[in-house]
Amino acid sequence: MKARRGRTVAAGAIVLALGVQGCTASTASPSGTDSGGGLNGTGVTLNVLMGANNIYPVQQKQWFSAVSDKFQKQTGAKVSFDTFAAPTDELTKIQVSALSGQGPDIYGVGTTFTPTAYSTGAFEQLTADDWNKIGGKDRFLPATLNISGPDADHQVGIPFASRPFVMAYNKELLARAGIDKPADSWDGLRQEAGQLTGNGVYGLAVAYADSFDPWKFIWAMSIQAGNPIVDGRTVKLTDPTVATAYRTYLGWLATDKVVDPAAVGWKNPQAIAAFGAGKAAFLPMVSASSKVTLDKSAVAGKYAYALMPTIPPGATGVPAGGKAASSILSGDNLVVAKYSRHRDLALALIKMLTSQEAQDEYYRTFGELPTNAAEAKHLESDPALAAIVDSASKSVGTPFVGGWSQVQVAMVNVVVQSIPDLAAGKVDDAQLRSLVADAQNTAQSAVDKAK
Amino acid sequence: MTTATPAKPPPAGSARPVVGETPTAGRAGRRRRIADRQRPLWLLLPGGLLTALVIVIPLLIAVYISLIDLNLYTFREWVRAPFIALRNYFDAVKDEGLLHSVAISVEYAVIVTVVTLPIGVAAGLATQNRFHGRGLVRSVLLIPYVLPAFVVGTIWRIILQPGGIANGLLKHVGVYGGLWLNGPMSFWALVLVQIWSSWPLLYLLTLAGLQSVDPVLYEAATLDGADWRAKLRYVVLPRLRGPVSLGLVIAFLHNVNSFTLPFVLFGVPSPRDVAVLPVLTYTESFQNSAFGLSAAMAVVSLLLIAVPLAVYLRAVRLTVAEDRLR
Repeated sequence: MKARRGRTVAAGAIVLALGVQGCTASTASPSGTDSGGGLNGTGVTLNVLMGANNIYPVQQKQWFSAVSDKFQKQTGAKVSFDTFAAPTDELTKIQVSALSGQGPDIYGVGTTFTPTAYSTGAFEQLTADDWNKIGGKDRFLPATLNISGPDADHQVGIPFASRPFVMAYNKELLARAGIDKPADSWDGLRQEAGQLTGNGVYGLAVAYADSFDPWKFIWAMSIQAGNPIVDGRTVKLTDPTVATAYRTYLGWLATDKVVDPAAVGWKNPQAIAAFGAGKAAFLPMVSASSKVTLDKSAVAGKYAYALMPTIPPGATGVPAGGKAASSILSGDNLVVAKYSRHRDLALALIKMLTSQEAQDEYYRTFGELPTNAAEAKHLESDPALAAIVDSASKSVGTPFVGGWSQVQVAMVNVVVQSIPDLAAGKVDDAQLRSLVADAQNTAQSAVDKAK
Repeated sequence: MTTATPAKPPPAGSARPVVGETPTAGRAGRRRRIADRQRPLWLLLPGGLLTALVIVIPLLIAVYISLIDLNLYTFREWVRAPFIALRNYFDAVKDEGLLHSVAISVEYAVIVTVVTLPIGVAAGLATQNRFHGRGLVRSVLLIPYVLPAFVVGTIWRIILQPGGIANGLLKHVGVYGGLWLNGPMSFWALVLVQIWSSWPLLYLLTLAGLQSVDPVLYEAATLDGADWRAKLRYVVLPRLRGPVSLGLVIAFLHNVNSFTLPFVLFGVPSPRDVAVLPVLTYTESFQNSAFGLSAAMAVVSLLLIAVPLAVYLRAVRLTVAEDRLR
């Protein structure tokens, strides 16, 4: 029933949307005014949609009301926050809002989702004047602006939070094996993981059944070898670097046996739990938010973060053309809806949220790194954050093409369909080639359709 | 509520003269036509309007969307999206594995429906006669059915994890459980969980059917010396035909359209063996924003469910006609 219901809802929404649009065009008028100069938002409520924070739900609610109070003092306007549970929920919300011309004024979107949001054409491209109203481009860390738009003149996303990926490692286990620090190459990491596997402990904790993790590994190993996956409008999944990346990633469990066989069914939190229970030495592809769980686990105080390897499989150094990417450029951007009738207020709110003071508070509440350059500099001195801040500066943006979400799904699908082989302890080259070829077709046709 | 009474068809008595070709038949026929004209058909108007608004118009729009290139880049001006006739249907078959998904959905729906039939009927028969604690047993049997599919999916996902409870139990009896949530076994995992959660529908309809059997018939059969087998064969089962076949149609439609359970159990992208049509349609629409393509898939799934529905409606119409002739 759900598929049909989904379709009916979508079609119904279109009918309603047309009606609503007709109504708003003829009758509605802004409930507050964005007068020039000093903003007067009395009586206006700005609507903001952000991802739900499952780690700090209570704090998030408190933060919402604190922001609203502060903004009301500044401008007279209130801020009403709404949350979404998954990116697909947000996409649906964006689709319905863009079509009906009403909905949240500001959306918080993930960095890799920004190209998709940009392609909908539903968000304001920021002019030089807009950037001035936010406090200038200079207030942001330059790296965080790399995924705000296809180029510097067409930007929609305003960097709000940074969540670079790093690798956690168990200091005790490494010390016992005589390893002083994690390797900086994937081959080295595999070798160390092999050394650390035994007595019920595995070298690596990897979430093979996660809906997002797998593509990040494949992308990282590929770009380190010089293949950005999408080059211009050409998808390069059939490039040998990608096959090597898949073989390395799948091989950890299938042939190297350095990952718990149960990991074929793991999502990201299960990998964190295994590491937290002291059953794995390395936990690659986690952000600073894993700290909350790990500090309450059996390895509290016994673990540290390090950069993930930046030297691709089969190499001893970053090859010519390769990029030493430690992580995807990860975090949240804020975008302003084109249909918003409170554009200046929205920009004023973003200015407030990206100020050093607000970013410091956000970091202290949620553990997410600032995009504000002054605040980032301020945090650099904290040794506990060293690896994470380092990773933020070595993050590389994923390709800014409209079909990127589908490219991601196609890359994850290769791993999903390889799981049976993985569980049987093998990586079948012919099967892998055929899956990658399918992914190439799907991804290329998605990129071809992108505007 | 009393206003609904005149909308009922005229009593069977008025239809009877049609069968016999007597001079009075013409007069009776005229009377019936007058009665027809006097039916307050306008009472159907609110329901009809609502049906048009909630079902017919969205359905027509969905069919139209399936013929245009509506995607992430064209949806804001959907009326101007390019018309591409049947391209979405071709693409769905050629590139997106639509036929594979249709086959998986139908196989799975048929197997689940056929297996739940004897389980539901047996449970209905077993709880028909009074015994101590019957109310409790009847309620307990309904638990799988009243649990939301999301909860059922989540619980079974935990049970069927590699290294989960199911494999742990199997290991105790010396069987290697293997991989349940991906690979060839995942299809059977889906069938198993769907059977577990959906069989009480047939049980409920069997109970409803059993309660409509007049106790006098049992008495008469007993007086005629019928044993329980004969009673079951000649008294009970013929009277269960109606409700149980309705149950079969509903169960099939429910299974073929099941989205939540496979979505929660296996996630997306779906493993190939459980790439059922509703999840594929969802992925195209809400993950890939290919609305035209997913509308084409939805239209195909509508056609798919229209087949058993048409068979059922035809069967019902035949029985109505039989009743009239009686």
